Amino acid sequence: MSDDVILEFKNVTKKFPGITALSDVSFNIKRGEIHGICGENGAGKSTLMKILSGVYPHGTYTGEVLYNGKELKLGDRSIRQATEEGIAIVYQELTLVPTITVGENIHLGKEPVERGIINWDKLYSDTDRLLKKYHLDVPSHAMVRHLGVGKMQMTEIAKALSEDAKILILDEPTSALAESEIDQLMDILRGLKKHGVTCIYISHKLEEFFQITDSVTVLRDGKHIVTEQTKKLKVEDLVRHMVGRAMKERFPKGHRKPGEVILEVEDLHAQDPNDRNFEIVKGVSFNLRKGEILGIAGLMGSGRTELVMTIFGEYGKVTQGKIKLNGKEITTKNSADAMRQGISLVPEDRKRHGLVLIQSILRNISLATLSRFSKLFRINDSAELKESMEFAKSLTIKASNLNAKAESLSGGNQQKVVISKWLMSKPKVLIMDDPTRGIDVGTKYEIYKIMNQLAEQGIGIIMISSELEEVLGMSDRVVVMHEDRSVGTLDIADATQEKIMALATGTAAKSKTRKVKK
Amino acid sequence: MTALPATQKESATNAITKQLRGNLQTYALVIALVVIWGLFAVLTNGTYLSPQNVSNLFRQMTITAIMSVGMVLVIVHGSIDLSVGRLAGFVSVVVAILQLRTWHHLFPEQTLLAAILSTICGIGVGTLYGIVQGYIIAYLRVTSFIVTLGSMWILNGAILVATEGKTIAANQEYFEDIGQGYLDPLWGWLIAAGVVVILFVTMILGRRRKAKYGFTLPSMFADILKTAFFAALVVGYVVYVNAYRGIQNPVLILAIVAVIVSYMADNTRFGRYVYAIGGNIEASRLSGINIKLTMFQVFVLMGFLCGVAGVVMASYVGYGTIAAGTGYELYVIAGCILGGTSTLGGVGTIFGAMVGALIMASVTNGLQIMNVPSSWQYVVNGLVLVIAVYADVYFKKNK
Repeated sequence: MSDDVILEFKNVTKKFPGITALSDVSFNIKRGEIHGICGENGAGKSTLMKILSGVYPHGTYTGEVLYNGKELKLGDRSIRQATEEGIAIVYQELTLVPTITVGENIHLGKEPVERGIINWDKLYSDTDRLLKKYHLDVPSHAMVRHLGVGKMQMTEIAKALSEDAKILILDEPTSALAESEIDQLMDILRGLKKHGVTCIYISHKLEEFFQITDSVTVLRDGKHIVTEQTKKLKVEDLVRHMVGRAMKERFPKGHRKPGEVILEVEDLHAQDPNDRNFEIVKGVSFNLRKGEILGIAGLMGSGRTELVMTIFGEYGKVTQGKIKLNGKEITTKNSADAMRQGISLVPEDRKRHGLVLIQSILRNISLATLSRFSKLFRINDSAELKESMEFAKSLTIKASNLNAKAESLSGGNQQKVVISKWLMSKPKVLIMDDPTRGIDVGTKYEIYKIMNQLAEQGIGIIMISSELEEVLGMSDRVVVMHEDRSVGTLDIADATQEKIMALATGTAAKSKTRKVKK
Repeated sequence: MTALPATQKESATNAITKQLRGNLQTYALVIALVVIWGLFAVLTNGTYLSPQNVSNLFRQMTITAIMSVGMVLVIVHGSIDLSVGRLAGFVSVVVAILQLRTWHHLFPEQTLLAAILSTICGIGVGTLYGIVQGYIIAYLRVTSFIVTLGSMWILNGAILVATEGKTIAANQEYFEDIGQGYLDPLWGWLIAAGVVVILFVTMILGRRRKAKYGFTLPSMFADILKTAFFAALVVGYVVYVNAYRGIQNPVLILAIVAVIVSYMADNTRFGRYVYAIGGNIEASRLSGINIKLTMFQVFVLMGFLCGVAGVVMASYVGYGTIAAGTGYELYVIAGCILGGTSTLGGVGTIFGAMVGALIMASVTNGLQIMNVPSSWQYVVNGLVLVIAVYADVYFKKNK
């Protein structure tokens, strides 16, 4: 690799009223490399990228950003200008129009036009050429909303590349992807590197830096900590740089003592309530004990969310099999019914399903349990506030006060609000669907501690996770799902990443027979 | 608003500025209202602010404002109701027919009983229509826009059928007092005194309750000042209208309706659910909220309030006519939007909508006094709405 620098940050400082988001940040990014940037939430990654993509134009920060040796001065039309300069960003929240095709999305705002009429043939042939060049396997005529998240992201990348991007910024690109899709993305990025595109790669998943990046920059509290070639680093180094202290374990030790079985699921089958012919759960069996954390592993699309939503009474219609709570068979008509019986669920997508973002923390925490504070018709708002404050305190939600809107909180704190909401319902079984998605290492650790405490209090916790390390680090047992079925339960003592992956990808049958031969 | 648990002792001025800042939008509206009043006062050489005109102005807004109270919840929870004007119109026609043709056969000479029965029947018709409409929207899942658009036509036809194209008098004794009567000034004073007592008692009880739960209380001075301010508003209003003929009956009805529904919006599960659903329907569903039931209830309440408005309308106008309530839905919705209700749902207050309705009524009334032709009144109304919402967007952007 050459030492040719494409981007240089020199003493970049960005202040907001009351906070310094970036303080004196200086480092270089080399041409054609994949450069990882990591740091906890609030470390300044997003602010830095917003300077680069023109959200904060030149003059709103101090210091210099040199692009190809020249100072980058993004003015009034700064965002558009950044794109024209060849700096493109693929946002964490995908920004495509779902109701039009891939080709139209890629050319949105720059459709090939002849005398005011769009030349559709050119548009699609250009699209196809672009997709082929970068080995992006997306059908150009497909409507975006019919695509999976992975393909949507490819479309997003293609859109960026269609602007002739020299620098591609990927903000947590894998947070919504399944393992197989992540592999695909990695391949695409390697391909881009061959074409000379520089990538800036932001992620919370530390392993990914070692898979894909050439060098890594760590930011902490708005300060630049280190920029180093990836091969000279270890995971522990990254964690130490990020949190500013050596964190020996990423998963806190719990003192969980699983008791008797509280929830049993026997050969559960369920169908899509909107489409009778579509079976979404095709045979799942497991049991959950009091005070246990039961991990559910599986690839994205393996039916994990569908399974827990069915148990929670909100999605699937049970056609066969049983759900037993404390030995008694139960049915859950809807979420209210499930809660009454002691089952709560922290949903996967906290912004869409967990929070009313425009409302206060208080209103969010008490939303599911208002009936408890109501006498006749009136809500006792003092009691409501008192209990909500207790949860906010015990879960260490960081906010100026409980009247702050949920949307003003960081991802980790939002998640704590969602967890508080469900704990208020005093569940016996707490289902957590990917509880640490998009949350920084430090807050993850806090959430793990909370989970341990809850389990120690005797709550049975079902945790879905896309991160194998998390499953292995936190669970007492692991249920693996593959194609809407449970394909095995592993005790944590003999669970390994390899065993789980083998089951999750459906290749376990072979390895099993091999084992028998041994 | 939920009171803040003050973490440290804060000074009174601090508390007040905080309060002011928190409700900036509402205060901006109040300021706009004062400016409009001032403007018309100058343009009409003071006639505008005479007790008689102020009394009329408030009376004029009551019918649409009663419906705005319900419309806030309809819009906040993410729906729309286009049928309100015609529903109130239909109710007024039904009530007029009962007044003119039915009651005196059944209960001759019993005008008070007739008025009471008319009121009950009118509200009943509105509520019943709300139940049907709510059922179709919530449980049969036809969008509110379509259902209520259809209702406009249906009710239009129903009004024509019921009236046979004729105008029906509804100006009988007692009944006419509902929309046209005034309270004896003495009653006005008593009500003013009662409201002041209630305001202060609520404040003190609220502080006690907070203290019981161990919260640090906001400064006593700030609380007293705030309560005194609202008390002064009420007393001031009564002084003013008593200088003419006393508290207007329809305004009293509006005030009662607005206070009750406003309390419901903040302090009952129903109210909280409406706002939560408007903010995020999926999160609300997963929180165990019965979405369909809440939606149904919202439309039943809307129907009930259309019933109230229809009864007031019949009495106020004195007739049931084929044009009753035509176009009122626009004033009702505009009042809400002016008052800060978000068309995206989740945000909006009844107090704001009342100020919004008052602004619309103030402009119309001012133009009427100045003898501006009604064609231009429409133009001005439209401009006021768009400019006001633009101002809101502008201030939000530059906050």
